[in-house]
Amino acid sequence: MARSMGLYPGCVTSTEQYNYEMSIREVLPELGIELVDVENTSCCGSPFKSINLLMQTYLSARNIAIFEMQGLDMYTPCPQCHLSLVETKNRMNESSDLREKVNSLLMEEEGLKYKGNVNIYHTLNLLHDIVGLDMISEKVKRPLGMNIACHEGCQTVRYTEAGRPDRSEHPEKMERIIRTLGGTASYYSDELNCCGAPLMVTHKESAITKAGEKLKAVKDRGFEAMAIVCPFGGRVLDSKQDRASETIGEKIGLPVFYLTQLIGISMGKDPTSLGLNLNRSPVGRLLK
Amino acid sequence: MTEDLSITDLFSMSKPVKTDTRSLEKQLRILGIGSPDLCFQCSKCTSGCEAMKLLELEPHSVMASVKSGFVQEMVNSDVLWSCIGCYKCKERCPQNVSPVEIMYVLKNWYVASGKPIPGDYQMMLQNMMTKGFIQENKEILDDEGISKDRGALCLPDIGGPQDMNKFSLIISRIAVEKLESD
Repeated sequence: MARSMGLYPGCVTSTEQYNYEMSIREVLPELGIELVDVENTSCCGSPFKSINLLMQTYLSARNIAIFEMQGLDMYTPCPQCHLSLVETKNRMNESSDLREKVNSLLMEEEGLKYKGNVNIYHTLNLLHDIVGLDMISEKVKRPLGMNIACHEGCQTVRYTEAGRPDRSEHPEKMERIIRTLGGTASYYSDELNCCGAPLMVTHKESAITKAGEKLKAVKDRGFEAMAIVCPFGGRVLDSKQDRASETIGEKIGLPVFYLTQLIGISMGKDPTSLGLNLNRSPVGRLLK
Repeated sequence: MTEDLSITDLFSMSKPVKTDTRSLEKQLRILGIGSPDLCFQCSKCTSGCEAMKLLELEPHSVMASVKSGFVQEMVNSDVLWSCIGCYKCKERCPQNVSPVEIMYVLKNWYVASGKPIPGDYQMMLQNMMTKGFIQENKEILDDEGISKDRGALCLPDIGGPQDMNKFSLIISRIAVEKLESD
């Protein structure tokens, strides 16, 4: 039976990482997740933690309240959004002062009320824990047959106390999914290294250099491709891979896929429907 | 602690600018994190810090400064803005201190003091307050060099807040407020 889930794409996925969103919309309904679009949403506030933590908390609580009032659980493909939403939930549950303060602002704005009863999922725990490996396995028509490096992304796995989609050291859910799709995946020593993307706000060159270092580490370990579940990762590892190559003085040429694109490929979906023509890294040569 | 007994930075022989740390402690309590006083300088945070190699961020040094009362000095230090927000320092701290979140709080203080916000934050704030999101929908090129936007890719419209005026009004109000009540 299909399970309904409110889709909260977040700023980066919905304004530029269209391939992630397209593959999600193509693949998840076939895995029994009916995606519901929700109006009136806004930024989750995560980018503004450095500016004003109350602003971050307010924005996350606002979006949770909107989903809650429609009786929907939340699914966000973005680890940053996911962390901001769950940590807001935790803070609001722990501090009645904060809950009152934020709720009075929400009520004033447009009659919203935050209760904090929604479940909040990210791509990784939605696929692994809710859809399940058996269901994914049933849909595989074209086993991947590639050696893939998993890149969970910093906030997908940290910090544990907030409740994350996978564990903080040696995460394994993504590897299990890749194996279910007929690929091979194993832990590598640079797996937890950051892609650098959040530095794009203040230190662009360093951001790209970190992306270059991460890509090189993956390539040097002999992986044929990389799988990601974070739109910030996509922004530098895929979209800016050419520039990242320049920073390390070596042509990297590593295909970078969203996990949902890989699932779609293994289901035998048309590459364009998965937005594979929008990836900037050389994904084409693995699709033959 | 009297003025005479306060800690002196031996390199510059300077004394910390007097900071009321009660507000810092109050904010940290709401965030559920330990006081920097608990830091015993094991440097696990710095050994895993994603910004250490390229940008010389040393979370344990920041904690040492804050602990010694050099709070205002840290608030005004550029180095805080090189934090990536990877949360390794928080995750691995044996004392439940969270350098990443302490640095968020200090950056909040810097912004609240009215000084110019670094990098693209100003632009992101402006977009958020006018559209609801940190950036406008971008047109991107496909593998044949053809420009695509949400419409061309048959993705549904994402409208943002229905009452944009009310939304931006409340955000500007929050911009001058703090997490904790006074």
